[in-house]
Amino acid sequence: MLTPQLDKQLPDGVADLFFNDAARKRAAERALADTFTRWGYAEIIPPMFEYYESLGAKAGPQLREEMYRFFDRDGRTLALRADFTIPIARIVGTKLFDRAMPLRFYAIGSVFRFKEPQAGVRREFTQAGIELIGANTADADAEAIALAMTALRALGLDDFRFTLGNAAYLQATLRDLALNAADDAALRDAIRRKNTAALAQLLAALNLDSTRHTALARLPTLWGNAEVLDRAICIDDDARAAIERLRAVVAQLAQFGLADCVTLDLAENRGMDYYTGILFEGFAQGLGFAVASGGRYDNLIAHFGHAIPAVGFAIGVERVMMLQRTRASVAPEVIAQTHSARIEDARARGRIVEVDVLNRAEDALRAYARVRGAREIWWRDGAIENV
Amino acid sequence: MSKLTIALAKGRLLAPSIKLVESLGYDLRAARASRKLVLASNGAQFLIAKASDVPIYVEYGAADVGIVGQDALRESGANVYEPLVLGYGLCRLVVAGKRESQDAEWKTRAGLRVATKYPRAAQNYFSTRGLSGEIIALSGSIELAPMVGLADLIVDVVDTGRTLRDNGLVELDEIFKSQAALIVNRASHTLKVDVIRQLVEQIESKQDF
Repeated sequence: MLTPQLDKQLPDGVADLFFNDAARKRAAERALADTFTRWGYAEIIPPMFEYYESLGAKAGPQLREEMYRFFDRDGRTLALRADFTIPIARIVGTKLFDRAMPLRFYAIGSVFRFKEPQAGVRREFTQAGIELIGANTADADAEAIALAMTALRALGLDDFRFTLGNAAYLQATLRDLALNAADDAALRDAIRRKNTAALAQLLAALNLDSTRHTALARLPTLWGNAEVLDRAICIDDDARAAIERLRAVVAQLAQFGLADCVTLDLAENRGMDYYTGILFEGFAQGLGFAVASGGRYDNLIAHFGHAIPAVGFAIGVERVMMLQRTRASVAPEVIAQTHSARIEDARARGRIVEVDVLNRAEDALRAYARVRGAREIWWRDGAIENV
Repeated sequence: MSKLTIALAKGRLLAPSIKLVESLGYDLRAARASRKLVLASNGAQFLIAKASDVPIYVEYGAADVGIVGQDALRESGANVYEPLVLGYGLCRLVVAGKRESQDAEWKTRAGLRVATKYPRAAQNYFSTRGLSGEIIALSGSIELAPMVGLADLIVDVVDTGRTLRDNGLVELDEIFKSQAALIVNRASHTLKVDVIRQLVEQIESKQDF
């Protein structure tokens, strides 16, 4: 029986990980860290919490609302980190702005968001991501996407596709329209959900010039291969530049041999107050929601003092784990009845050796070794027995 | 080519949805004849699910595609694509009450109790208007609630309005119009890009006549 206080042991959205799950998670994190390192990214470890005014003020309204907040003893509001991008932007904007660019950072760890239950959503979850800072080029965009794909492969996921859009295209197409907030939100939502019917109604009510009307009405259908870039209507140079950037990124990805893993999608417009250029999401066969997402955010670091462009992504480690069918072994190879010099030797060579500390009888030790999945028992007299 | 899983909403949308799907060359006679929940035809798999569950199946990717009313879709809040409306299953989500509520007085009253199968839509309607509605979530026969004093108002879908009239209720406001829609999982949309495009275009061509 649980004591009454323990009726509900855990708040919603968090989980205990142990045995196989903990081992798998750490193995995934190691594979990601190794991959990022080999591409020249250095680890950065921002604090778990910092002032809400630095995390919150730069986050979009939704992320801000989802932040866990609490008070420091001097009355200032603190917040748990809700992603790595904002803390890294703060560090770069305040401390590293005068270094040789680009800077390449990776971060792996827990982030916290108060979210309603929804597909694949937890309140503490693990992000593993990179930021490529100080380069606003198609090469940098393509490197971020290619690295995200390489990272998924390093995790054993081969059957994946990425959607790729450019926030700058819709921003250019909506510029100077002076829509009120509700219309603007409804329009973006209809475009994001590819809801052609709702979009047509909204556009009819807005009374736009015909070029802009057609450009927007067409958006929900502009997904597929590079051919969609030819069908996009560009109302100005910025829109044209956004389309040309996508063309250049796709060409660059072709150099990596990865162009076939991309679906272009010009209707993509999540996080509009954040992303300023390309944005992408990675989907893997077998999971109904994204395992990776990222994009270009050229205005964020400026909030911390220095305007420096950047692109990055994060992989949802728990989501990847849902897809991995492999079991990580947590079994000892050897159970030794008592301590000996041989054990130190074996451990030094990387074998996993566990010593019995309960002074079990022989049969009890055999039974325990079977339960633990050990392969050998080393008896006190030096005999080795296969389990 | 990868196989599609298509979820169809049970209830009043099922018959026209089956008709639409059969016009695309699938054979769903078994769905009419039996109570089977999973059917296979022509390389696709069909799930017959409760309307309010269809958006969930699709959001999680248990189904790639679904056919469901926009009322159930909005209520679920599911993050899915909704590329097509299908022109059938027309209905409206409305606020209704007893005849004596018909004057605008209900909008100014505090402590309104609202019975509904659509708590999210109802909450959203009342809170965006600054009205203090206490939402009572029921799962059927909503019209009963005002008659027995459980609630002052209801939020429910109406088709012809007959059920409202028969139970002495009148429509006070329309929240939104609804019809059947095709919804698509965001991952399937890119992982099965060709099959999904083909399906959307096929349905579109049926609608054009």
